Amino acid sequence: MDKERIAGKLLSLSEKEGASQAEVFALTVKTSSVYIDDNIPKVADLKTEFGIGLKFVLGKQLGFTSSTLLSESPEDVVKRAKSVAHVSSEDPKFVSLPDPKVASGRMDRFFDKPTANAGSPELLEKVMMLVQAAAAKNVSVPNGVLRASSIDFAVHNSLGVRAGSMSTNVFGFFTAKAQDGGVVGEGVQRCWSRDLSKIDFPNLGNKLKSQAMSVLNATAFKENWTGIVAILAPSEGSEMVHQLVGSAASAENVNNRSSPWADKLGSQVAHKGLTVIDDGLSSAGLLSSVVDDEGVPTRKTTLIESGTLRSYIFDSYNAGVSGVSSTGNGLRRDPRDSLGRFSQPASCGVTTLEIPAGTKSLDEIIREVQKGVYIEHFAWPQVDPISGAFSNEARNACIIENGEITAQVKHCLLVGNMYESLTREVVASSDREVHDYCVIPTLAFSDLELVGQ
Amino acid sequence: MLPHQHLSSIARLISGRDAMLDAMSSAIERFSARDVLFADIRHEVRSATRLAVVNSALRKFDRTNRAGTVARVLVGECWGQASTTQAVTASTLKELLSEALRMARAGARYSKKRIEISHAKPLTMSVQQKMKEDPQTVSDEEKLSFLVELDRAQKVDDRVINTNSVYDESRFETRLANSAGSRLEWDEIRMRAMVQSVAREGSKVQFDYAVKDGLAGYELVRAIDVNNFAGECGRGAVDLLSAAKPPSGEMTVVTDGDIAGLIAHEVCGHASEADEVVKGRSFLTGLVGVRVASDGVTLVDDGTIEGLRGTVPFDTEGTPASRTEIIGRGEYKGYLHTLETSARMGVLPTGNGRAQDYNHRVFARMTNTYFDIGKWTDEEIIEDTKDGLYVIRPTSGMEDVVGGGVQCLALKGYIIENGELKTLVRGMALTGKVLDVLKTVDAVGDTLQFSGGTCGKGEEDYIPVSSGGPHMRARMVVGGG
Repeated sequence: MDKERIAGKLLSLSEKEGASQAEVFALTVKTSSVYIDDNIPKVADLKTEFGIGLKFVLGKQLGFTSSTLLSESPEDVVKRAKSVAHVSSEDPKFVSLPDPKVASGRMDRFFDKPTANAGSPELLEKVMMLVQAAAAKNVSVPNGVLRASSIDFAVHNSLGVRAGSMSTNVFGFFTAKAQDGGVVGEGVQRCWSRDLSKIDFPNLGNKLKSQAMSVLNATAFKENWTGIVAILAPSEGSEMVHQLVGSAASAENVNNRSSPWADKLGSQVAHKGLTVIDDGLSSAGLLSSVVDDEGVPTRKTTLIESGTLRSYIFDSYNAGVSGVSSTGNGLRRDPRDSLGRFSQPASCGVTTLEIPAGTKSLDEIIREVQKGVYIEHFAWPQVDPISGAFSNEARNACIIENGEITAQVKHCLLVGNMYESLTREVVASSDREVHDYCVIPTLAFSDLELVGQ
Repeated sequence: MLPHQHLSSIARLISGRDAMLDAMSSAIERFSARDVLFADIRHEVRSATRLAVVNSALRKFDRTNRAGTVARVLVGECWGQASTTQAVTASTLKELLSEALRMARAGARYSKKRIEISHAKPLTMSVQQKMKEDPQTVSDEEKLSFLVELDRAQKVDDRVINTNSVYDESRFETRLANSAGSRLEWDEIRMRAMVQSVAREGSKVQFDYAVKDGLAGYELVRAIDVNNFAGECGRGAVDLLSAAKPPSGEMTVVTDGDIAGLIAHEVCGHASEADEVVKGRSFLTGLVGVRVASDGVTLVDDGTIEGLRGTVPFDTEGTPASRTEIIGRGEYKGYLHTLETSARMGVLPTGNGRAQDYNHRVFARMTNTYFDIGKWTDEEIIEDTKDGLYVIRPTSGMEDVVGGGVQCLALKGYIIENGELKTLVRGMALTGKVLDVLKTVDAVGDTLQFSGGTCGKGEEDYIPVSSGGPHMRARMVVGGG
């Protein structure tokens, strides 16, 4: 479907139906995927989805609806949006949809044509390079997915916003299983990029294999250690940093008082060595686009500067509540998969969180640790963003004693509080990786607890 | 009576021909290629109404309608799949099948095996979910009023600084035609009410939550005691402000039914999904007939239980849902199957082939997974425990299909001393080696408790499920945050 024409039509129909303001988000996503099962391409697919999200405003009453326009007409959708707005109670905090502003660059600035055009033959070739590198006599690749997406959206609103952006995304997730008699080891690798050609699949396969083989030697950690240093690989640290900072710095949570960082602007919330930036124009970021999903130009916002909380992130609603400008953080898209995301209204979220690289290599950081652990893989890294508490099971980790790795371990819990951890020195490595919502280095946190079986 | 007994409790047969199903059946019948072993087409319409009240004000009111069509084709042992949100016409259906065939053939170049889908029986049925009160007949004003009441009831103390109340109604309508000759049409209506309270005192911030959900109509909402449901949540958040850090290390753990359900789901549920078994990834591969748990442990997946969130009339492939005993009195019994895995293992499909939606793959998934009851009362289990930890309120879990471990996160619990619940403790993780943990189960309660949720496999592919169990006692490793 022609998203500009549909967006224009829905906007026009909304105005005719009496909307005081209206906004249309029209999204086309085309995704090709290959799923690996036991070393073979088990499923290859092609998904094409078009959908719209319509915000209908009647004074201070807001309604939102969405549709693929397959089983209903634009007129039906507008009538439904109007009925939703009509029933809604007035929201006294609502100020306005965003005004038009000039975007920072061409709408295809973050679009890679070969990636957008990659279909199942190209993905099959890439993914089988990984499988061939990883597979060995006692190593297989039982699970995996590689997908490449093109994401093309337009935002029109009744105040004159006519904006949009095109981008591409590649996501891969692979596991390897190594077996030696009754002992098994699992390796896990993810890859993220906006450009398929930037991913070194044979290298990823080799890493997967060596990770699975190394876990064969891992034993269950049997002790309880307190006051230790935990070094988190970017894949793990990124999820914990995103869950915590993304929630605490969100103006939505600040305005509804659930963020521990409410009223803390200008206060020290982290160690002076830590700086965290939200960059909607990040060169490596997966959600980079010239406008956010409300048509507001994206930008770089320093959230924490040398430990001091400098800014929150704002979508247009929360910017209106706080009497400031949106920081271009009204988002619907997801770095992992944007299919179906038209069906949600924009909400306040990070674009790409960046933490600057440090000066030390991972090996140098390890050499400075007296007692600690290097976590390569958690079961799933999680933090309670309200209290900061976390307790995550390590599935692949290395024990560090006196600056050296002394054992490979698994099945132990890393326990701590992320808000407290941020206030102590956080050591960053000299290399950074893109993972999900973050571009961050390996990070070392101190004074944590490691609980064994 | 419907042909499949469980359907009579959750659905009623409807009559009449459907033009779209005719077109889909016709496209499948005309689609022929020498190497195609199986094919199906699914058309889905997914509509939902969601309302959220935050701090007494309506923050969200959405209505969504997503419709899409997906075709699958099996060549050798590889599937091709193509989906679109374009209008359903004979031409679109033909293109989807052709695209799926092209991709299946591309994958099949890497394998010489063939999978014969022999257990897909032709079924022709149109069924509609039974419910007492269709949520579409309830006014939006009434739904909003319900949420405002939930929000008010959370404010039990000045320290409750943030209240969140969510109403979610969803309707999935599916049409399916396949090369075995099936023509199916069904719907699934689910309701969900959720509250979350945040309490603050000085620099301490804690939250609590409560959820009620199921495959049901608006009667689910009408049965909620607002003051009890939301008030307890508010009080729970306030109480957690003064909760202690839980102890760490291996200890005796008593779980309530919700935590037992989370363990059931993560511990053996995922590893019993047969796609993980046919490729030998699951640590439960080859264990049928083997003792894996103490006598008191029986684990079941049952997609037919009336009213539960994971209940379905058919799975995504059109197989009627069923009850599968995974562990029976400590002995491992069997796996959860799709059409493909049942063909590969020479057993009947169990109705566990599920997909998130038309944009996602079908593979083996759970429905309602639970530990069955034993003979102890809940009170007897606590009274019989000298030292331990009583754990309630699950937040999330993660399976370890290869290694046989588990991670279950919980919001709170109580230290047990000499058979009594003592100090309230806050957030913790439970972990351990599954087969070791199940062998330490020495007390199983006599009352089942279910809670609904959304299950991902690996890191994505989310489907509605529920899990449950009675109170249970075992040895596990605890780490408190």
